[in-house]
Amino acid sequence: MSAQQAVLELRSSASSASAATLLTTSAAAPVLAQKPRTRFYSSWSPRWLALPFPLFLLLLWYAAAQFEWVAPQVLPSPQSVLLTFVDLVASGEMFDNLKISLLRVLLGFGVGLAGGLLLGVAMGLSPVFKDYVYPLFKAFSQVPVLGWLPLLMLLVGIDEALKIILISKAALVPIALNTYKGIENVPARYVEVARVLKFSRWQLLTRVIFPAALPPIWNGVRYGFTHAWLALVVVELLASSEGLGYMIVFGRQLFQLDVVMAAVVVVGAVGYVLDRGLARVEIVLLGWRRSGF
Amino acid sequence: MARSSSGNSHDKHPVPKFLRGWILPALLLLLWWLAVKFNWSTSPLLVPVDKVWDTAVAQFRSGELGIALEASLRRDLIGFAIGVGAGLAFGIALGLSRLFERLIGPTFHTLKQISLFAWIPLLSVWFGLGDPAKVAFLSLAAFFPVVLNTFEGIRSVPAELVEAARVLKFNRRQWLFKLILPAASPSIFSGIHLALIYAWLATLGAEYLLVSGKGIGNTMIDGRELFLMDLVIFGVIVVGFVGFALNWLAARLERRLLAWRGRSVAQF
Amino acid sequence: MSQAGTLDIQHLSKSYPVKDGDLAVLEDVTLTITPGEFVSIVGSSGCGKSTLLRLIVGLEDDYRGQVLLDGERIVGTSLRRGIVFQEHRLFPWLTVENNIQLGLLNADLTPGQKRLAVREHIALVGLEGFEKSYPHQLSGGMAQRVAIARALVSKPEILLLDEPFGALDALTRAYLQQELHRIWQAEGITMILVTHDVEEAIYLGDKVVVMEPRPGRIRRIVPVGLAHPRERAAVGFAEVKQEVLREFSGDSASLAAPPLRSGAAEPDEPRQWRFAI
Repeated sequence: MSAQQAVLELRSSASSASAATLLTTSAAAPVLAQKPRTRFYSSWSPRWLALPFPLFLLLLWYAAAQFEWVAPQVLPSPQSVLLTFVDLVASGEMFDNLKISLLRVLLGFGVGLAGGLLLGVAMGLSPVFKDYVYPLFKAFSQVPVLGWLPLLMLLVGIDEALKIILISKAALVPIALNTYKGIENVPARYVEVARVLKFSRWQLLTRVIFPAALPPIWNGVRYGFTHAWLALVVVELLASSEGLGYMIVFGRQLFQLDVVMAAVVVVGAVGYVLDRGLARVEIVLLGWRRSGF
Repeated sequence: MARSSSGNSHDKHPVPKFLRGWILPALLLLLWWLAVKFNWSTSPLLVPVDKVWDTAVAQFRSGELGIALEASLRRDLIGFAIGVGAGLAFGIALGLSRLFERLIGPTFHTLKQISLFAWIPLLSVWFGLGDPAKVAFLSLAAFFPVVLNTFEGIRSVPAELVEAARVLKFNRRQWLFKLILPAASPSIFSGIHLALIYAWLATLGAEYLLVSGKGIGNTMIDGRELFLMDLVIFGVIVVGFVGFALNWLAARLERRLLAWRGRSVAQF
Repeated sequence: MSQAGTLDIQHLSKSYPVKDGDLAVLEDVTLTITPGEFVSIVGSSGCGKSTLLRLIVGLEDDYRGQVLLDGERIVGTSLRRGIVFQEHRLFPWLTVENNIQLGLLNADLTPGQKRLAVREHIALVGLEGFEKSYPHQLSGGMAQRVAIARALVSKPEILLLDEPFGALDALTRAYLQQELHRIWQAEGITMILVTHDVEEAIYLGDKVVVMEPRPGRIRRIVPVGLAHPRERAAVGFAEVKQEVLREFSGDSASLAAPPLRSGAAEPDEPRQWRFAI
């Protein structure tokens, strides 16, 4: 830290004499066993700095609603959003809808995860299987999840099946792709070690291939989950009669933007929590990787 | 357990390699054709294969495809450009200024948690239902990945290069253009690539949710409402092609501009 | 003390199919290695020495001639033949002791015996205290020592070493050469070392096999009759070194030509490997 301040003072000091003294003092100071961080910007950054900006926005919002700079249907006041939120939680409506959304996304993601892993593993381990399946798979993956929506709507209507299929497709593609590539890219070096140590096929799979392929597979899982969550929200916005997305749409129809905002906040919060959860799991699974600095 | 250093020489499978990829699609098409021929279903949804082709040709000829595609792509690219531009600026600010990052960063990171499409209803109230709302939404879709990846890229500039620049007495401008941006460019390109994907996804979503005007998404929605399976299938194929073209373009650009890196990250 | 094996290589030849015909990588290599011997193999790039090692350990097949261990023809890989590669190839997701334990995965021992063996070998390579470390926390030399422990823990009859110290700095290399020598004396197994460092070859080996390229074959076998511990600065050492180097000086053309593309090249990109399904 002291070397840090020395740099700052060096830059701001005009005289070379003071610069020279700073250099000598910092040279005399004990060397910290610290890797040089990328310090080319000012580094004054106390924690509380996170607060002013959101507070400012909040204030702006409050004022805008209070003085009706825009119609209340367009911008409800922060108090009304808070009240509505409390209302929805108290009446149980929030939890009901949240529960439905969560169940949907977990089910859809589960299906997509299972399918994606299976497909990815099959393509990764069997080049013949990959030759048959990959081109078609690649073609299908060119169409984003939403592109399939009208087609699926025609085929299966608008009830649960639609949502689960869409969500699982959203998760399946990145998971399958990353799993396949992850397995394919396992360095031959490790496989040779396994051969020399006479690993059985099963041992090779479980002790070499999967640990080595786990980082890219996990990336695929996280990406797949993000997409699953995205698909959930969209499909609930478009074709649902319950769930968080439905709340948003419903509130919007009735110009009850406070309901919309409350639901949006919950969508954000849940998305955050789930993502953090996945990050936690990642630390456990992949803690052996050297952490970047 | 066998291993082969070439992959080909140990192949004992009867079907030659280059044919294998075609078998499944061919089978599917065959099944489809059989289903039509033998009336496996009386649903109007079971359209014959050639009807899709006819529809495609009709769409193409009448210019409807052109209009829809042009509308969708125009919005896509405008929104993409705005989002990327704003995203780069914001991301660079976040990366370079610790102060800025501390002030605005947390708010940004919180907002980015909100699933993209949840923004649409709010945007539709604030911007209406037409093109402005859609473009605003697309910009948002492109904005987030660009900011995140740019920020990440700038933060990961190796300390060794920073020190070299210090020794070479770079001025502010040189810092940015000769060190930071080039060093962060792989990440920045990843971000732009992602932004392209998300923007295309968002284009479709916007057309579904803000139903007004023309676009490929609208074409498909129309097809669905009128139970015109052939139109919908046609739309799916077009969407797939555009997605593929965009991906390919992005990968080519990335490879060209990042050739100094050796191995490209754009594998998919 | 492990049981040492007799290795008998008879008229070993290997070639790779290339565009116009076959590229001979090894031609008519005949070599006998007695139990407990330390054999160094030197040669310029492309002389097939790594290919030879890979054939002996069983990572490559499709050759002409015979390789016999204790009179039995070798088939594929085996725990009786261990190998240490140039890169340590430790599994990054396992600790040091778990990496070493991999060598015993398919050994016929109780878990208790395995733990004991692992502990013994950690002590053998001098890495006590690092049992729970991960590979990325180790220096290059330490990681290579773990690789050696992993190769030895299953008590093979032969240990093959393919330029094991090539990626290390000179000081670490010198230290590890001493260590390898000590381990060899302690374990008493047959060791075959491939290296391009002539001094290393003489320091460690009972005999030095000099190979030449295009096609790869044995040029000469130089016995090293010096007593241990060997002094690199001693006259006797220098004489043997002269003898070996002389085999190279007449072959200056081979030094200028590009190396053969043998299968022993360690590419950075993952090489194609496949399950047979």
